[in-house]
Amino acid sequence: MGNGRGQAAPETAFDLWLQRGLHQMFDDVMREPIPEELLRLIEQDRSQG
Amino acid sequence: MSQTIETQATVRPSHSMADFHKLLVTTLPRLRVQALALTRNRADADDLVQAAVTSALAAKDSFAPGTNFGAWMFRILRNRFISDVRRKRETTDIDDVPSSAFARPGAQEDSLVMRELRGHLSRLPAEQRTALVMVTVQGMSYEEVAAAMDCAVGTAKCRVFRARQTLQRWLTGEERGVEAPKVAASSRKSASSPRARRRHTAESEAGMGHATPV
Repeated sequence: MGNGRGQAAPETAFDLWLQRGLHQMFDDVMREPIPEELLRLIEQDRSQG
Repeated sequence: MSQTIETQATVRPSHSMADFHKLLVTTLPRLRVQALALTRNRADADDLVQAAVTSALAAKDSFAPGTNFGAWMFRILRNRFISDVRRKRETTDIDDVPSSAFARPGAQEDSLVMRELRGHLSRLPAEQRTALVMVTVQGMSYEEVAAAMDCAVGTAKCRVFRARQTLQRWLTGEERGVEAPKVAASSRKSASSPRARRRHTAESEAGMGHATPV
């Protein structure tokens, strides 16, 4: 199910295919800029604190 | 294609409260992926992250510096998600999987097999789906997943295994050649029909709430 370091490495051809498919689905979200509104919310709290 | 995306928040350095806001910003990309894994919908994911950030800022004094910030944030996110699911169940039929599940706004049409993957992924129980994304997309170890999901390492492994197993069966009709008797039995029961699978998913999502909402 994984290697000795607790990493959950894919084991089968299906796992590798699944990994590629999931990256295709989620990588864009990971890379896109954080919405300004969210950053403003955090900055506002930081300056108040 | 990239294999593993890791942020600074994946590692757990000791830090002071002065780093809180910096850590929060650093964690956001990862949190947005986790929110999408939970909600299956971009708009809901954005709302969920915003709500979780608001809760985290309000509760920042309860964060213990030097502990796992990513796990702390995910627990807040998950608790908000559970609260939202419960509230929505009172007014809407969450038994239905949205046809736009995991769709990317403005993106080119997926291949047929990707559309199938999106559909099947959205029908997995939320905790299996999220554990799978944490491991497969974010490169988290089972120990990190267990810390974030507040469960045993064995449970985290089991969730990922079940997710892979179920997706493989739905997509290829093949069973995995790895022994997991309890897993196979419960999955077969829950996957008796598409309707039953959707019901199981909704129940699982609502049943996630052993933690107190923040």
